[in-house]
Amino acid sequence: MAARHLVIGGGTAGMNAIRTIREEESERSSITLVSAERPYSRMVLPYYLDRSIAESHVFTATGKVLADWGVTAHLGKRVTALDTSASACTLDDGTTIPYDDCLIATGSSAVRAPVPGADGRGVHSFWTLDEARGVIAQIQPGSHVVMVGAGFIAFTILNSILSLGAKLTIVEIAPRILPRMIDDTGAALVQAWLKEHGVAVRTGAKVARIEDVKGRRRLKFAAGGDLVCDVVIMATGIKTNLEWLKGSPVKVNQGIVVDEYLRSSVPNVYAAGDVAEGRDLISQKAAVHAIEPTAQEHGRIVGANMAGKNVRYRGSLIINIVEVCHLDVASFGAWDDTGAEAASSVKADRPAYRKLLWRGDRLTGAIILGRSSDIWTVNDVGMLKGLVQSGVSLGRWKAYLKKNPFDVKPAFIAAKTTSTLLPETVLGRPSKAPGETPVAV
Amino acid sequence: MSVLKLHPEKCTGCLRCELACSYMQTGEYQPAKSVIRVSPFEGHTSYAPYTCPQCAEGWCMTACPVGAITINAVGAKDVLDDKCVGCKLCTIACPYGTMFYDPATRKAFKCNLCGGAPACAEACPTAAITYEDVATADWLGDFAVERTARVLAEAR
Ligand SMILES: Cc1cc2nc3c(=O)[nH]c(=O)nc-3n(C[C@H](O)[C@H](O)[C@H](O)COP(=O)(O)OP(=O)(O)OC[C@H]3O[C@@H](n4cnc5c(N)ncnc54)[C@H](O)[C@@H]3O)c2cc1C
Ligand code: SF4
Ligand code: SF4
Repeated sequence: MAARHLVIGGGTAGMNAIRTIREEESERSSITLVSAERPYSRMVLPYYLDRSIAESHVFTATGKVLADWGVTAHLGKRVTALDTSASACTLDDGTTIPYDDCLIATGSSAVRAPVPGADGRGVHSFWTLDEARGVIAQIQPGSHVVMVGAGFIAFTILNSILSLGAKLTIVEIAPRILPRMIDDTGAALVQAWLKEHGVAVRTGAKVARIEDVKGRRRLKFAAGGDLVCDVVIMATGIKTNLEWLKGSPVKVNQGIVVDEYLRSSVPNVYAAGDVAEGRDLISQKAAVHAIEPTAQEHGRIVGANMAGKNVRYRGSLIINIVEVCHLDVASFGAWDDTGAEAASSVKADRPAYRKLLWRGDRLTGAIILGRSSDIWTVNDVGMLKGLVQSGVSLGRWKAYLKKNPFDVKPAFIAAKTTSTLLPETVLGRPSKAPGETPVAV
Repeated sequence: MSVLKLHPEKCTGCLRCELACSYMQTGEYQPAKSVIRVSPFEGHTSYAPYTCPQCAEGWCMTACPVGAITINAVGAKDVLDDKCVGCKLCTIACPYGTMFYDPATRKAFKCNLCGGAPACAEACPTAAITYEDVATADWLGDFAVERTARVLAEAR
């Protein structure tokens, strides 16, 4: 069994792997972590931005915790090369670290739209803690913020910007918002909801350049109509952090190609999280999800396998939720499967929409929109996830749900979804609580 | 560990469990804030309570990005208020629909078995909810199959 584990990247996947190694191993091994940043959770940054939590709250392991877990940490250091034949990596300070097995979990970075001025003063990305610090210092009550890009990440920080008392305009090159999270109908409802809540949205708008005018930013559009603002946030996409792996035999497609144990093409090198092309639970095809729950599952599976277990990876389900001014917007699984049978329904009297997608009598995807204060929306969100995740055969309930997509619970219970789900675990055993990680003595 | 065993055939739909639960969890007598939910079956002629089965995976707990969900002394998955940031990831990770979110406090909440003395079980006048040392199970499936036969026949 591997005695020296190397974990590259201390984000979600890396930290889940480290904890799971300690939970699963039969003999104490050595773990070395190299991470360009201190371990923290990126998806908590919006709550730091709106000042509902202190900066210290974003960290997932302090130096003391890493020491308790017996982790040798090189923080603030980058891996610049991986020599798989020698089983060693090189850091940016020249240090070489040998390993018996290694996990690549270097995540992604924000990419800015290639327009002149995109790197200028007052133009920000919002992906790392450093970038979040930059943004938080710039937004005051009354500031005008322009968000370029209307994807999922833009929406995760939308409430925070509004709660800081800023005025927000969203600019999107595509004809609609949230293209990779909900369908056209859902997007139109969210766009109307945003307008009602004072957020201006310009779709089909191509930014031609960003200029600095007397300390403010001017966005020029291809079709004309300038916009002057205080802060620009570019949420125009992400890319995997894998440049440093160039020249190594680790096979990379959209992400690192992995087998059903999350091993790369090099047997003692694993990949997890945003950089890994793991299996999608519904399509059973390789896919880069770039979401938190997939990074967690990847990390835990790899941790168990590095500890000598042989845990097969079933695949992860895409799940997303954002709250937009007290409207919950969520989607699951293959919500965009054009080959699926679909049924949808919009409530005329309130902002509520559901779309259910089927393959045979199994639910394979779902979109759900409803007020956050509506307790049934919250419960149905979970039950729809359960129906998609379990893939239970719904039989005659399919016809019922197609007619009554707002009445999920009787179908969920009568299809005995609970019986199917209860034996399901990611690691083949009950999960341990976050505080239960064995510490070094 | 002990879990809430549900006996749907005994439930009369009186909602006392919801009142007791909401008071215990949030200090308000407000069924909308109860984490045990009573649902009607067969056009309101029968009812069944439903709540977190304290599943082995604890999808809510493993999904939480800040480790705000833990296992309490009686084995229930429990939200630590001062750690929860209100990101809602647990609400979509739990496949049973038994994670809740309070817009007023911006925190997630769920059944924590009241630390070992569940208020719902105590409040139920017909013992349709009991707190017992048994393995968690699907308490409602068979009942629901039987009590939904008519509505299902109409849906065809
Ligand atoms: C603002 C924001 C909101 C989000 N909201 C959600 C959400 O609501 N739901 C959701 O599912 N997902 C969300 N995400 C996405 C989620 O955070 C990521 O999918 C998740 O962090 C991926 O985990 P990871 O471990 O793969 O990578 P990361 O968490 O990105 O960790 C990668 C680590 O590797 C380090 N690293 C990079 N290169 C090197 C190198 N060469 N050498 C050493 N270390 C290196 C980095 O510094 C970092 O510590 C959000 C992201 C952001 C930014
Ligand atoms: S809402 Fe709270 S408990 Fe739930 S995942 Fe987010 S931080 Fe964790
Ligand atoms: S809330 Fe859901 S995921 Fe969490 S323990 Fe209960 S059933 Fe499991």
